[in-house]
Amino acid sequence: MQGLGVRELGVSAVREAFDVALRAALTLSELDDIRVRFTGKKGELTVLLRSLGKLPPEMRKEAGQEVNALRDEIEARLEETGRKIREAENEKQEKSERIDVTLPAKGRRTGAFHPVMQTMHEIANIMQGLGYSVASGPEIEEDYYNFECLNVPKWHPARDMQDTFYFPDGKLLRTHTSPVQIRAMHQYGAPLRIVCPGKVYRRDNDTTHSPMFNQMEGLLVDKDVSFSEMKGTITEMVNAFFGRSLKSRFRASYFPFTEPSMELDIECVECSGHDEHCRVCHGTGWLEVAGMGMVHPNVIRAGKINPDEYNGFAFGIGLDRMAMLKYGIADLRLLFDGNVSYFLSGFGGAESC
Amino acid sequence: MLVSWELLKNFIDIVPAELTPEEVAERLTFSGSEVEGITYCAGKMKGVIAARIDVLEKHPTEAKYYVATLDTGTGRKVCVTSAHNMKQGDMVFYAGAGSVLPDGTEMGTRDFHGVESYGMMLSAEELGLHDVDDPSGLLILPNDARPGDDAAKLYHIGDVILDVSITPNRGDTLSLLGMAREIKGLYPDSVLKTPEWMLPLKQNKDWSEDFGTISLPDNGCLCYRLGLATGAKIGPSPLTAKIDLAHLGMRPINNAVDVTNYVMLMLGQPLHAFDLNTLPAREITVRAARDGEKMMTLDGKDRVLTERDMLITSGGEAIALAGVMGGEQTGINPDTSTIVIESASFSPIRVGHTSRRLGINSEAAFRFARTVDPELSKSALMAATTLMREWCGAEIGYKPLFAENGTHTPKPVTLTRKKLSTYLSWNDMDEATRILEGFGIAHIEGEGDEREFMPPTWRPDITIEEDLIEEIGRFKGYNDEPDVLPGRMPRRADIGESMALAGFVRSAMMARGYTEVLTYSFLPEDFPQKLRLPENDIRAHTLTIANPISRDQMAMRTTLLPGLLMGLKNAVVSGWREPVRIFEQGRVFLNGGEPEHLAAISFNGMDSRSPNGDRSEGFYELKADVEAVIRARGYVPIFRAGSEPFMHSGQTAEILVDGAKVGWLGRLKPALEQELDVSGVYAFELNLSALVKNKKPVFTPSGQFPASYRDVSLLVAVDRSNDDVMRDIRAAVKECSGEVLGLESLRLFDVYTGKGIPEGFRSLAYTLSYRAEDRTLTVDEVEKVHTDVRESLKRKGYSIR
Repeated sequence: MQGLGVRELGVSAVREAFDVALRAALTLSELDDIRVRFTGKKGELTVLLRSLGKLPPEMRKEAGQEVNALRDEIEARLEETGRKIREAENEKQEKSERIDVTLPAKGRRTGAFHPVMQTMHEIANIMQGLGYSVASGPEIEEDYYNFECLNVPKWHPARDMQDTFYFPDGKLLRTHTSPVQIRAMHQYGAPLRIVCPGKVYRRDNDTTHSPMFNQMEGLLVDKDVSFSEMKGTITEMVNAFFGRSLKSRFRASYFPFTEPSMELDIECVECSGHDEHCRVCHGTGWLEVAGMGMVHPNVIRAGKINPDEYNGFAFGIGLDRMAMLKYGIADLRLLFDGNVSYFLSGFGGAESC
Repeated sequence: MLVSWELLKNFIDIVPAELTPEEVAERLTFSGSEVEGITYCAGKMKGVIAARIDVLEKHPTEAKYYVATLDTGTGRKVCVTSAHNMKQGDMVFYAGAGSVLPDGTEMGTRDFHGVESYGMMLSAEELGLHDVDDPSGLLILPNDARPGDDAAKLYHIGDVILDVSITPNRGDTLSLLGMAREIKGLYPDSVLKTPEWMLPLKQNKDWSEDFGTISLPDNGCLCYRLGLATGAKIGPSPLTAKIDLAHLGMRPINNAVDVTNYVMLMLGQPLHAFDLNTLPAREITVRAARDGEKMMTLDGKDRVLTERDMLITSGGEAIALAGVMGGEQTGINPDTSTIVIESASFSPIRVGHTSRRLGINSEAAFRFARTVDPELSKSALMAATTLMREWCGAEIGYKPLFAENGTHTPKPVTLTRKKLSTYLSWNDMDEATRILEGFGIAHIEGEGDEREFMPPTWRPDITIEEDLIEEIGRFKGYNDEPDVLPGRMPRRADIGESMALAGFVRSAMMARGYTEVLTYSFLPEDFPQKLRLPENDIRAHTLTIANPISRDQMAMRTTLLPGLLMGLKNAVVSGWREPVRIFEQGRVFLNGGEPEHLAAISFNGMDSRSPNGDRSEGFYELKADVEAVIRARGYVPIFRAGSEPFMHSGQTAEILVDGAKVGWLGRLKPALEQELDVSGVYAFELNLSALVKNKKPVFTPSGQFPASYRDVSLLVAVDRSNDDVMRDIRAAVKECSGEVLGLESLRLFDVYTGKGIPEGFRSLAYTLSYRAEDRTLTVDEVEKVHTDVRESLKRKGYSIR
């Protein structure tokens, strides 16, 4: 009796009709039509729900449960089919939107650093870690700061080592960054730790000399400074820059502003001395990278510091040479000739549009 | 300085005796005299011997050849030559079949029109000896050679030459004598020797010629000696001497001049030989030149002098520039027979000054400027006199003439254990003393922790304690010293504002796709004209180098733009077709200052096709780059229409930060683009000093309540700028909304000219966002305000579209 009542309501007929309709649905709009046909205001399921009220009260509960179950089922299946259709449609769309990911990137290609400037910043950072502040000074200098204060009077043959550009008023383009050391001693006094990076100029132009190049000098002034401390500092700096521990050797040398003076050779960064035809060290296994020494008392004095109380060390490295060694650049002149295609192609990133 | 291994043996027996030139070179290099190369003069030579021409005949058919039958010591060989300078009985060098010449050429037999030649007889050139003898003839040997002698063992042909780089403080090592002393210091067991021609000479005869006095009114001449040699016969020097000179880098000239050069190379004392009969008067005066005085030096150049230069004069006439170069008139000539030899000591300061100022770096000036041992003038004169007899057959033994201006005595220097152990990690005073003594530095007083030393006359570079420590340090070598990092840190290390800014700017520019470049600080002299800078532009007033290498590197840059443009030009010329975006940070030289600038150019490349269409960029992309750099430092830049003489008159803006002009941006002037043969170059330049201080950004939270967006589209005269219009809109909103709601943002989204827009106008469309801080705005509220704003804009004269 009860089962008959439910059957009369047509639950199974609606379910069957829904099954048939749903199976045929292929698109979201067809699915929408089905949704309206069954669950819309005049939909088959809606009619069924409304008809529950006409049933005798004792049948309503059971019939209600059946119709509600059908409603839940229809909604769930609509939902599920909808998801499937959307997935299929998305999949189809994605297929149709396939692109060639190997086409070039759009927009600007990335920029690139200049190896010498990069070297300058790298070494300044290393030296900052060792307690050295960065000091700077003018590129157009007075003879007094560039030479006189550095124990190089006008007649001194050491001036032959640094052929100089002069201006009509007697000023000059600094031949080293050492005048900054004098200015820093004047400004800060002792104790002192500075590095001075910058452009320097010498009247020299051939395959291994550029009339403008870049240097970084360091100066430490303190009490009872030893050669060992200089050696430790330079070794640390060079190893940090090249990222590994390199063999090194110190040769006695001469600079008017230091006494004693030395030069540093490091193991060839290219061949470590294993290639007698090495284009970098020419088979010697060694590279000359820095000049240094204990600051001459006359220079300390020129810095207005008492040389009986303080001494120190100073060193200078060629940033261009360091950059060439680290980044494998063979020709110094490429660095400043402004033909940027070399850097754009050699140091830049991938092609883009 | 070239050092002969053979000649060194005249001055020192090196101990241990088995040391090779390479080992000594390494020791020299590490102790401060860098050996830059070692040359084996005989090169690959093998099997070349001396031979006597026993028979010399003309070639049977060819007139230009001679056929020689040679005694080779072990047999006879036939050899054909095209030389004509030999005769029967001459000794020559012979390279037989199977022998090898210094340059590696292997000898064989060769047929000369029916006569088989077994190898060849050699000229000096073929032996690798330049300037020693006539290159077109055979080298005829002195008669002391015996047939069969190995050429490499004769006349120093097989010498080994060390090329030593002498530092400016070590003038004393610019001679074989000096190098011997240095090697003695480095190998203390070695024994110094005196060559025969340096042995004392009896000089007691009165001059055979009348001669007045030597006067030295200028105290830059410390002492002056004149020696006499009479009856000299000018001709070539002995073969060994010529070869020695050639090996040491000097061209043999004639025996008298060669004597002076030889003694200079051996002992370090520059000498000068005058022909007595060409002296204007029989007296010598060494005096300061007068300002503006002129003289012609040996190289044929007229020199204008100053009172810091010193002259050797005779009878009031300048005959030499003291210590630098002789004069034209008084040198040795082929007929000279009476020779006056000058051996003097001049102030290094004065010679250095003259030689630097006039750019004369003669062997003499080079040595005097590095200080010549004043004691040397006497022994060098004696040695040269002896050699005048040996090489020129001159009569000698005359008493030298002499004058001096006081004497120079070295001062003692103290070494303390305290300072020694501060500098080096080693302080053995006894060993230190032994080391110093090896270098000729005498221990004169003290046995304990403080000792006094007397440097020799040839070491004027040793004046302070540090100099002694250097001698000890370079003897011991520095490689065994421990590596230590200094412990006391006086203060926090500061990277400095300008370095910090530089680091920031380059990161920002690289992130935006620019490549960093460095260009020269000096530019072609005419760059201001090329940039069309007018006379009243400070950038046209360049500092110009007085002694440039070339006119292209002469004027200090006042702007970074030309360097970048040259870079672009070079890239394009070298075939680069891709876009070029480059920047440079660096100083310009303006108004006596050196401000740091940043400049960049953006060029679309020679081919802007891409899968995405035309990839060209223009003014507004560049503007975004400028904004990015400035805003990232916390500043808001303002852009105003501007002009630069080298920029496009309609596409240039000036950049303002905090109300002050800090730079410009825009498109390059078309005429300049045409000169560069490129099109579409955009550039900017900024004075970075405005950005040194990083402005702290003010944090403003975003509104909690939603914004409402309304658009307005205005018809605006083309000469009215977007900035002006935006200012009017902002004013209108403020006027209409009071405190009720705020204009959160104002954004231009369309610019239109063309159909429907009257000539001389453009349509600018903006979107405005309104927002209140305390509530969600109602539609009515927004509509009311926006309508009022539109009305207000109409009242300001705008037509609303």
